[in-house]
Amino acid sequence: MNTHHTFPGIAARAARTDATGSIPPENWQDLKDSGYLRLFHPPHLGGTGADAATQVQAMEALARACSGTYWSATVSALLCAKLISTYGDERHHRLIRPLLTGDRLAAFAIVEPAAGSDPATYRTTVRPTGNGYTVNGEKSRITNAPNADLAVTLARRDKPADDTGPDWCLAFVDLNQPGVRRYDIPHMGLRGMPWGGIVYTDAHIDESDVIPLPFTELAEGMTWGWLLVSIAAVATAESALTASVRHARRRISFGRPLAHMEGVQAQLADSRTHIDAARLLAHRGAAERVAGASARDLIGMLKIYATEMSVQVTARAVQIHGATGVTQGHEVERHYRDAQMNVIGAFATNRLREQIAEHLGLGPAVYRPFDWLTPTGLTHDPVSLDGLTTG
Amino acid sequence: MVFPHHPARPDGASPSAKAAQELADRTQELTHRLARPTTADRDRRRQWDDTLLTALCDPTGPHLAGLLVPQSLGGAGLTATQTCHILDTLGEGSRDPGLGLALTVHTALATVPLRALGTTAQRERYLPRMASGEWLGALSLRQTQSTASPPTITARPAPERPGGWILHGRADLVALGPQAHHFLVIAEHDDTTRTAFVIDRDTPRLHVHSTDQAAMPTCPWATLQLDDCLVLPDAVLGTVRGAATETEPLLATLDWIFTSAPWLGIMRALTHDALAAAGTRTLFGTPLAHGQSTRFALADIATRGELAAGLLHHAAAQFDADGRPSRRDAAAARLFTVTAARAVTQDAARLIGPAAADGDHLVERAHRDALFFASTGGGTDVLHPVIAASLLGSGRP
Repeated sequence: MNTHHTFPGIAARAARTDATGSIPPENWQDLKDSGYLRLFHPPHLGGTGADAATQVQAMEALARACSGTYWSATVSALLCAKLISTYGDERHHRLIRPLLTGDRLAAFAIVEPAAGSDPATYRTTVRPTGNGYTVNGEKSRITNAPNADLAVTLARRDKPADDTGPDWCLAFVDLNQPGVRRYDIPHMGLRGMPWGGIVYTDAHIDESDVIPLPFTELAEGMTWGWLLVSIAAVATAESALTASVRHARRRISFGRPLAHMEGVQAQLADSRTHIDAARLLAHRGAAERVAGASARDLIGMLKIYATEMSVQVTARAVQIHGATGVTQGHEVERHYRDAQMNVIGAFATNRLREQIAEHLGLGPAVYRPFDWLTPTGLTHDPVSLDGLTTG
Repeated sequence: MVFPHHPARPDGASPSAKAAQELADRTQELTHRLARPTTADRDRRRQWDDTLLTALCDPTGPHLAGLLVPQSLGGAGLTATQTCHILDTLGEGSRDPGLGLALTVHTALATVPLRALGTTAQRERYLPRMASGEWLGALSLRQTQSTASPPTITARPAPERPGGWILHGRADLVALGPQAHHFLVIAEHDDTTRTAFVIDRDTPRLHVHSTDQAAMPTCPWATLQLDDCLVLPDAVLGTVRGAATETEPLLATLDWIFTSAPWLGIMRALTHDALAAAGTRTLFGTPLAHGQSTRFALADIATRGELAAGLLHHAAAQFDADGRPSRRDAAAARLFTVTAARAVTQDAARLIGPAAADGDHLVERAHRDALFFASTGGGTDVLHPVIAASLLGSGRP
């Protein structure tokens, strides 16, 4: 096992992974050999139960090597396996173990074509058949959807009138069956990461693999995802800063290295400071989470800050690199595209701001249709300097 | 939600952590009871309150004057991280950035150089009295960034007293100056090397002129004037001509970390005020709290506080671990906290609205004081190159 959690082979293949939009098989072999996939879970599930600091260090190292590979592997081995272990029971250990060996891959199927994080638009439904359940519906813009073996699927429950249980469930759906169709969706960044949709048409689910769940539990489970994305953002920003420092030291402009320019120094210093702030919060959030606390709001704050920070840092990196930075295939061009994906993935940051605000004591978000301006009179233009005129 | 989080709240498992938490609890109680009710009035009158200082420094109370003095010398013997936590509590409880600065200058900036670099005689003479609050130490905030600004005090050998020195010059922006018993001064020699001195207020030809600053008026300010002052060899702090590698880097790091700590509490107080305003003010017929811009602003305010606290406590913890603290981490913590303080103040002002009829007008005072805070410690013009130099491998060592 690679105890230092460096991924030189995956890093060397990162540009190709991005260019081809496909994670090469060698990456998966490296991941299996490294022990990365086992870090997040206790030995009785097939994991190695690493401490929080080790987990975060390994996650950042893999994300720095190749963010697309990181997303695919960590959604499966961390997020999906945590959802199964948290909400399932010992009957579901059979589903977790192959995710940790790397023999199978999982997807977290939540979003549907109509909207992102608004559950009112979700239509995917699980129905009892007398021999388990069937699921029908479409999930879209899902990491690992095109090639996953298993989907942890959020769905409505079609339940009899006397069933007072939750309206929602997590269904552990085997994707290698006739009732499942998958498709790819081209995407801006994280191009190596498989991303696309899943269409369920009377797909079968074993009875034990449907777990009724209140919708409010979703945010709790998603917290692992927010942590995952935040560390990806920190790693992308760190890679962009490293490239910027290297370029600033080498690039001669107007007779001196870029590094001697105050404006460049200010950009580098701001990036260093902002990355450090996010990384420290990531370690704190992970430590609380791994110790068993929810840390939901802390990690929600982290997701907001780290992902938007990463966009700013990669934008600075592009500017420091000048025209080189916007050249297709250049490292910072890839980081720039990758950074924006983290803002949107696993709940867009403004959605999370609503959650933080609610938990600060402001109550749940209140929606009311516009127009609140007309009743105030602020839609009228004023009279001219000469007052009301005719003609 | 547990808000705000306290990342450095001392772990209750160890005796020292328990003592630190007791001091924090006493600080919170006393600042709420004695400081906060008078803050707005003291601010308006530019008033320093000796009675309040005595209560805050009481060794049987918060013991704020002796937080970083070893217990063997009469202090509380806290760690740097624990001290940050208590200064944070002071800021939140008092809602007074000037009081926070004044006490921090004494407790950290004037105390730690004596603890770290003083002779045994200096430590035994000054630190017990500083820990009790009997003697207050002061210094110019212009002397905490090495020679980024030109030195204004010179030192030359005293012709009549071997080992003695003649100091001459002026230093403004001396926080706590009018109340101080002694001053930490850095003076430049002819060859541009520098020496740190600890000079008592009653030194002949030393003059303290009280001044008014536009910001932080609850901190007493002065200009220090030295008219060919003779100081004896025992006034030298550290090595003669050694300030550039001894006192100056220490002062910079202490300033960046510890004078930022009360602002964590100020930001938290502003957040509470903004939350209250969001629940009571209405706009377009609905509570402000229903508006997305309000909700987003409050989420960002809370997040900035968490991030600043993480950086500051991380930088402070390096004083508590083996090895030398990182100037880069201290500068980064200051840079982030300054930016956060200004952003939080601005957002809070927007939510609280103009000209609040009641309350202690913290947001108005914070607007003024955050600008001042941002310009001390060298401001971004100093912080940016310090951080960048460490990244670029430029600068020494």
